[in-house]
Amino acid sequence: MIFKWKQVKNHRLMTKLIVTYIFITVIPMALIGLTAYNQYTKSIEEQVGENIPKLLEQAHEQINAYLNDIRQLPDLLYNSAQVIEVLRKDTFQTNSSLLQDQFIVNSYLTKTFINGGNPDILGVFILSKNRLFQSSKVSYTGFESIALPYGQDMDLNGKQAIILPNQTNLRFKDAPPYILLMRQITDTENRMNLGTMFIAVDMSSFKSIFEKINTKQQAQISLMTNTGYIIYHSNLQYIGRINKHLADYPKINGSFKTTNEDENRLISISRTGSEDWILEQSIPLKNLTERTDLVRNTTIIVFVLVVLLSTIISIFLAWNVSRPIHRLTSLMKKVEKGDFDVDLPIESSDEVGMLAKSFNSMVLEIKDLIKQNYQIKLQQKEAELYALQSQINPHFMYNTLETIGMAVEEDEEETVVEMVSLLGRMLRYSISNKEKVVTIDQEVQHMQDYLTIQKIRFEDRIEFYIYEKIDTNKYLTPKFILQPIVENAIKHGLDHQQNFRIEIFISSQMNLVKNREEVLFKIIDNGPGMPKEIVTQLTNELESDPLGKRDARFGLINVHGRLAMMFGEQYGLKIESQMNQGTEVIIVIPLMKLENLGIKMGGGGEGEDEKN
Amino acid sequence: MKRRVSLFLLLILFLAGCSQKPAYEIVYSSGEVKTQSETNEKRQVTIALVPKLVNIPYFNAVEEGAIEAGEDLGVHVIYRGPAVADADQQIKIINELINEKVDVIAVSANDPDKLVPVMKKAQSQNIKVITWDADTHSSSRELFINMVDPETLGRHLMDTLAWNVNEEGDFAIITGAESAANLNVWLNWIKIQRREYYPKMNLVEVTASDDDPHKAYIQAKQLLAEYPNLKGIIGNSSVGPPAAAQAVKEAGKSGKVAVVGLSPPNPMNEYLKINAAQVVTLWSPKKLGFLTVAIAANLIEGKKPYDRQDIPQVGKISVKDDMVIMGEPIDFTKENVDQYDF
Repeated sequence: MIFKWKQVKNHRLMTKLIVTYIFITVIPMALIGLTAYNQYTKSIEEQVGENIPKLLEQAHEQINAYLNDIRQLPDLLYNSAQVIEVLRKDTFQTNSSLLQDQFIVNSYLTKTFINGGNPDILGVFILSKNRLFQSSKVSYTGFESIALPYGQDMDLNGKQAIILPNQTNLRFKDAPPYILLMRQITDTENRMNLGTMFIAVDMSSFKSIFEKINTKQQAQISLMTNTGYIIYHSNLQYIGRINKHLADYPKINGSFKTTNEDENRLISISRTGSEDWILEQSIPLKNLTERTDLVRNTTIIVFVLVVLLSTIISIFLAWNVSRPIHRLTSLMKKVEKGDFDVDLPIESSDEVGMLAKSFNSMVLEIKDLIKQNYQIKLQQKEAELYALQSQINPHFMYNTLETIGMAVEEDEEETVVEMVSLLGRMLRYSISNKEKVVTIDQEVQHMQDYLTIQKIRFEDRIEFYIYEKIDTNKYLTPKFILQPIVENAIKHGLDHQQNFRIEIFISSQMNLVKNREEVLFKIIDNGPGMPKEIVTQLTNELESDPLGKRDARFGLINVHGRLAMMFGEQYGLKIESQMNQGTEVIIVIPLMKLENLGIKMGGGGEGEDEKN
Repeated sequence: MKRRVSLFLLLILFLAGCSQKPAYEIVYSSGEVKTQSETNEKRQVTIALVPKLVNIPYFNAVEEGAIEAGEDLGVHVIYRGPAVADADQQIKIINELINEKVDVIAVSANDPDKLVPVMKKAQSQNIKVITWDADTHSSSRELFINMVDPETLGRHLMDTLAWNVNEEGDFAIITGAESAANLNVWLNWIKIQRREYYPKMNLVEVTASDDDPHKAYIQAKQLLAEYPNLKGIIGNSSVGPPAAAQAVKEAGKSGKVAVVGLSPPNPMNEYLKINAAQVVTLWSPKKLGFLTVAIAANLIEGKKPYDRQDIPQVGKISVKDDMVIMGEPIDFTKENVDQYDF
C-alpha cells in the first residue's frame, strides 16, 4: 500500500490532476447513469409485472366463465324426460328395446350437444348401467380406457371433474387439444345415480382468449393444472407437457422474475379459479426492456461524450496549471546552471502568475546581488591588478631610466635629479595603492609627474596644460582614472603628431536631473582622432557592458567600468572624437568632499596618512 | 497486508452471497395463495332439520335426502320431529336443539305463530334459523325454502282435477293441519283458479286431516257418503290422496270420483295403476331434504342463495326475496309412476 502510495505521489502533477478530474466526473456520472437505467428498467418491470396479472385475471375469468358454460352443458340432459326415463330404466331388457333406448339417447345427444349451440364440443359420452351412449363430431379411439377403470360404480358425489388428455387414452382425429368434463348424472328426484356423462371440449377456442392477453410477441402463455400439467399453451407443441418449475414458483398471484437462467424471464401467474388451474405468462426480460434500450444507448452515448469532454477539459485545466510550473522548472534549471537572462512571461494574475512574478523578481534580485557582490569584486580585483601592472609599466620604466641614463651621460644633473624625483613620486603614488580614493590634486599631481617625464623624454614634442576650476584638494576621486586615458592619448598622438598637445580640465557641474553635483575631467588632445564608427562602437561598448570584454581599448573600458561600478551606470566616461581633429574624453564622477571621506570610503584615511 | 486479506475475504463472502440468491424475485404480488391445508380447515357443523312430523312417507323421503346431503357435503345432520303434527312438540324439539348448540335449525312449521318465540330464541344464540316446506313469520327466520311456487302449485292442483272431471261437478278438499301456512296458501290458489276458470265446478267441503293418514281415510269415506254427487277429491297434503284413493277404491267408485292432490308416487303407485287415483303431484321430498341441508351448509360458510344458483345434484333454484323455490312440481300418472321411488 505504502509503496503504491509512493508511486502515486511520484506521478507528475498533470497526471494526478487529470486522474482526479476524471475520477470526480466519470464515477458520479457512471453511477448516476447506471442507477437511472436500473431504476427505469425496474419500474418498467414493476409496471408490466403489475399489469399482466390483471390481464391474466381477466383472461382467467373468461376461462372460468367458459368452463362454467361447459359445466352447464350436462344440465341439458334433464330437459328430455325421455332420455331421463331411459337412464332410469333397468338394463334387463331385450336387445331391441336396448337398441331403441340407445337410438333415443344418441340422437338426443347429437341434436342437443354436437349440433347444439357450443361448437367446441368434440364428443359426448354417457356411461349408464353398463350402457354406453355416445355422439361425436370426429372419430376417436380409446374411450374404453375411461370406461374400464371407472366402470359402472363411478360415484363423484355429484361433483364434476375434468379429465386431462394425459389421464386417458382417448384421442380424437387430428389430435385437437381437449379436456374431458366428467359429471355424474343424478336423478335429482329419486336421489339416484343414473350414470356418468363425459363431454370432450376442444381447447382451441382458448386461443382467442390467449391472444387477447398476448401483448408481447415473445410472451408464452400457458394454462396449467396445479400439478404443472400444461392444458393449453400459446405454443401448441407444449400442450400436454409438465411444467416442472411450478412447484418452486412463489405461491402468489402476481409477477416474479427468474434470476438464475441464461435468459431471465418475467413470469406472471394467476391462480384464481375453481379448478385450481394456473394461468401463466412468461416474457423474456430482454423483450420487456426493448424500449429502454434506446434510453440506455442514449445514456451511454451521452456518458461517453461527457467523459470525453470532461477528459479534454481536465487535460486542458491540468495542462494550464502544470505548464507554467513546468516552464518555471526548466527556467529554474537554466538559472541553476548560471544563466540569469531568463524571463518568465506573466500570463495571468492568479497564483501561477504571482509565482511567475515572484520568480522574475527573485531572479532579478539574484542577478543584482551577484553583480554587486561577486562580479564587482572580481572586476575590482582585475582593475587593481591592472592598475598594479600599469603603475610599474616596465616599458615606461625602461624608457624613463634610459632617458635618465642619457641625461647622466650628457651630464645634465638638474634633469636627472628632476626625473629621479618625479619618478620617485610616481612610484610612491603607485605603491600606496591600498587606498582607492585620493584627493583630486593628488591624482592630478601624479598625472603632471607623468606628463613632465614624458615631456623631458620627448624634448618638447609634448605640451600639456592642466586647468583646475575647483579646489582640487578638497574633493576626492578614484585613483588611476586619468593615467590610462592620458597614456592612450600619448601613445596614439605621438605616433602621428609632431607637436602633441594635451589639455586636462577639471571642473564641477550641477546635474539637474540627478540633483547632485558632479566632477568633470575633460582630457582633450590634438591627436589623430577616431572615425565616427569607432567612436560609436566604443560608446556602445561602454554603455552596454562596462565590465565586459578586454581588448586593446582596455584602458578606457577599465576606467569606465570601475567608475560605473563605484558610482552607478550614469557615471563613467564619454568619448568625442573627430578625424584629424583630436579626441575629447570626459570623465564624470560624483562630487565627493574630503570631509565626508570617513563616512564614504573606509580606506581613505590610510592613504592620507602616508601622503602626509 | 492484513487489510488486503480482509478485503479478499469480504469479496468471497459477497460472491457467496450472490450465488445464494433465490431463483425467483417477486416483482408484484396481489396476495399470497393459501395452501390446501388452510382452506380445508373446516369445523364440523351440525344442521338440524325439524319436520312437521316423522314416520310418514313424505318426511321419511325428506330425511333420506337430508342424510344423503350430509354425507356428500360432510356435515352432521340431525333429523328430529314430533310423532304428530303439533307445534308444541316442535317447540320442545327446537329447545332441545338449542341446548345441543347446533349450527342451523331448519323447521317445517306446523304453526306459523306459535313457533316464532322459540325460533327467535335460537337466533339470539347465534343459531341460523331457516324454514322449509312450511313457513313461519319472516321475522323469525333467515329464509324459507319452498318446494314450488305456491301459486303455480295451487293452480296446477285445480287444473289436474279439472282435466279428470271435464271441468264440472262437486269436489272436496282434504287438507292437512288447518294452521299450516303452506297448505292454506295452496288452498287459496286452488280456490282462485276455480273461480277464474272453472265456474261449473263447486267446492263442497274442505276438511283438515292434521296429516293423520287414518283420520284422512275416515274423512274421505265421510265425504263420499255425504256427497253422492261428488266428482273429485283434492288431497292438499301428502296424506290426503292415498286416503281418498283407498276410500274411492273401497266404495267401488274408481274412475268415477277423481282423486288428485299432493302425494309421493310410492304410496300412490297401486292406486294410479287401478285408476283409483288419476294424477298426483309432488316434488321430490328427497331433493327438498338435500337442498335444505345444502343451503344450510352454504349459510354457515356465509354464502346466501341467489337466483338461478346451481346447487350440485339439485339443479338450479330460484330465489324471490327471502324465499327459495326448489323447482317445478312433478305429475305422477300410471305411465311414469314406476320411474320414481319415494
